[in-house]
Amino acid sequence: MPGYSKIIGTGSYFPEKILSNKDLEKLANTSDEWITSRTGIKERRIAENETTSEMSYKAAIKALEMAEIGADDLDGIICASLSQDTIMPSMACLLQDKFGIGGKTFAFDLIAACSGFLYACAVADSMIKTGLGKKLLVIGAERMSPALDWNDRNTCILFGDGAGAAVIASSDTPGFRSFYMRAHGGYGDFLAFPSLGSNYFANIDTWDLKTNMIHMKGNELFKIAVKSMAEAADIAVKESGLSYEDIDCFVPHQANLRIIDAAAKRIKIDKEKVMITLDKYGNTSAASIPTTLDDAVRRGKIKKGDNVVSAAFGGGLTWASTCFTF
Amino acid sequence: MAKYSMIAGTGSYFPKKILSNKDLEKLVETSDEWITSRTGIKERHIAGDEKTSEMAFNASINALEMAKLPQTDIDGVICASVTQDTILPSLSCMLQDKLSIGGKSFAFDVEAACTGFIYACSIADAMIKTGMANNILVVGVEKLSAYVDWDDRSTCVLFGDGAGAAVISAADKPGFRSFNLSADGKYKDLLTIENLGINYLADLSNRKKEDNYIKMKGNDVFKVAVKAMSDYTVLAIKNSGLASCEIDYFIPHQANLRIIDAAAKRAHIAKEKVIITLDKYGNTSAASIPTALDLFIRNGTIKKGCNIVSSAFGGGLTWGAMVYTI
Repeated sequence: MPGYSKIIGTGSYFPEKILSNKDLEKLANTSDEWITSRTGIKERRIAENETTSEMSYKAAIKALEMAEIGADDLDGIICASLSQDTIMPSMACLLQDKFGIGGKTFAFDLIAACSGFLYACAVADSMIKTGLGKKLLVIGAERMSPALDWNDRNTCILFGDGAGAAVIASSDTPGFRSFYMRAHGGYGDFLAFPSLGSNYFANIDTWDLKTNMIHMKGNELFKIAVKSMAEAADIAVKESGLSYEDIDCFVPHQANLRIIDAAAKRIKIDKEKVMITLDKYGNTSAASIPTTLDDAVRRGKIKKGDNVVSAAFGGGLTWASTCFTF
Repeated sequence: MAKYSMIAGTGSYFPKKILSNKDLEKLVETSDEWITSRTGIKERHIAGDEKTSEMAFNASINALEMAKLPQTDIDGVICASVTQDTILPSLSCMLQDKLSIGGKSFAFDVEAACTGFIYACSIADAMIKTGMANNILVVGVEKLSAYVDWDDRSTCVLFGDGAGAAVISAADKPGFRSFNLSADGKYKDLLTIENLGINYLADLSNRKKEDNYIKMKGNDVFKVAVKAMSDYTVLAIKNSGLASCEIDYFIPHQANLRIIDAAAKRAHIAKEKVIITLDKYGNTSAASIPTALDLFIRNGTIKKGCNIVSSAFGGGLTWGAMVYTI
C-alpha cells in the first residue's frame, strides 16, 4: 500500500461569457464600486448552454495532460459539486462516459458545497492509501448561474460558473500531509438552495421557485467563515509537520476578498502568498480551489516542491483544509 | 491507526403508510398477481409528508442504540442518497444538526444511486483506516415517492421509501474485508431522474412534467444488473480471503426478485443464504442493503461473526460489492 498520495496534474475551464459588474448594474440595483469594495469581484463567467459535466470534461483533459497520463489510466472519478447536470445519473458517471472509460473506474459525486473539493481530496487520499485506486480524477465544478435570483443583488453578484480538476496519484513522498474537515448543520440556513432536492419535487405544485433560489445570510456567514477557515488552515499546517515558514502559498476558497484577507491575517500568512482569482471569476463554489490552484501552477506561482495550505468553507455549513507539497 | 473497521450497529426506519399491490390496482391498470410475479414486491412504504432527513434521523438513532455509542462520539456523517431534502445544505449536514453534533464531525453526501451505501461504506472504511475518523455514521436513505409517476404502471409499482443506518467503527479485527466498486456511464440513460439537477433549472421553460419522474429501461437494466451483481459478488468474495462456503448470507440490493435470483444463481450462492426484504418494502435504492441488514440482525438471523456479501447496482450505472463480518 502506498505511503502517500499527491496531485500530479491540474486543469481548469471557464465558459467564455463574461458578466462584469457594469453588466450587473443593468440587471440589479447595484454598482461596480459597491460590488468591488465589498467582495473584490469585478467579473464572473456564465455558462449559457454549457453543462457542468461539459465544463468538467474540459478541465479534466487539461489535468490529465499535465499529469501525462491517459483517461484509461484512471481508477476512479470523484466529482464535488452541488450543481450537477443530474443527480441520477451522477456527474462522475457522465464524465466517465465522455472519456469512454465505462466499466473501468468507480464513479461518484460528493456533496459538501464549497468545501467539496477539499473533502473529495481527503476521500481520494484515503482511498489511494487503502488500495482502492492508484490514480483518481477529482473534480470541483459548478454551474451556479441557474440557481441565482438575478433580481437579488445580495447573491447574484457573488457567484460564477467554472470547473477545476486534479489528478491525484499514489506516491512514495508527500503529497498530502494533513486534512481537516468539519461541518455544522445548525447553520444550514446561512447559505441554502431550497429548490434542488426532494423537498421541492414533493411539493412542486405549490412551490414558489422564485423566492427559493440561492439565499445567504451574509453577515452571519462572514464571521463563521473567517473563524473556521483560519482555524482549519492553522490545524492543517500544525498537523502537516511543517511550520508556517515552510508554507509557500495559501489557496483559499474564493468567496469574498474581505473573508480571505481577514482569515490570512489571523494565521499570519503574508499577503503575497495568498492566491486570488475571485476578481475574475467570482465565487465558483467547489470549483474555486482547483481552478485557483491550477492558475497558480500555470503562472509559475506554485512550483514543484512548494508547500501549499488550502482552506474552504461553504453551505451546510461545511469547512475543510489541507496542507500539501506540490 | 486502526487496522480494520467494522459495523458496530445498524438501524432502519420506514414510514407508517403502507401501499399494497391491491391499493395500486386502484391507481393504475395493474394487478397484485402481475406485480408479484414480475418483481416479488407485495407492498411498499410511502413517506408522504415525512422528509428524507427525518427518516435518516430515525434510522440513525436505532443504529447508535445498537452500537451503544453516544452520538457525540460520531466524528463523521456520510449519507448515500439521490433524494436528499436539499443538496445545499446537504442531507448529512441536516442529519448532523438533528443529532445535535454540529461542529464536531465532518459531513458529506455520496451520490452513487442504489450502490450508494456500498460506496459510502468503502469511503468510511478508508477514512477510518487512514485515521481521519474513528466512528462514522453511514446512512442509506431514499424518498423515491417524490419522483414516482403514479400513472406509470411500469415504475410506480417498484419503489418505496425508507432509511437504513450503520455505525462504522475502528476495530482490531475485520470487519470489512473487501470492496469492489465500478460504474459505466455509457448506460447513463437506463435509469434516470432527468429533472433532478441544475440542467432542469437552466432549461425550466422547456422541461416536461414527465421528466420529473424516475424512468427505467427495465429490460436493459435487467441484463446489466444480473451480470454486474454476480461478477462483483464473486470478485468481492475472492478478494476477501474467505472461501465461498464461509459466506453465511448474501444481502443484495433489493430491486427485483428475478434479478436477485438470477444473480445469486450465476454467483453460485445457495437460495437459503439470500436475504429478501423487497416483498414488504419494494426497491428503496440506497436504503435497501442497510435496512435488510438491520432487519435480519434484529430478527436473529444474522448473528455476530456471520460473514456477509452484499452487492448492488443502480442508476449511473454504478455497481459494487463488499464482504464483511458482523
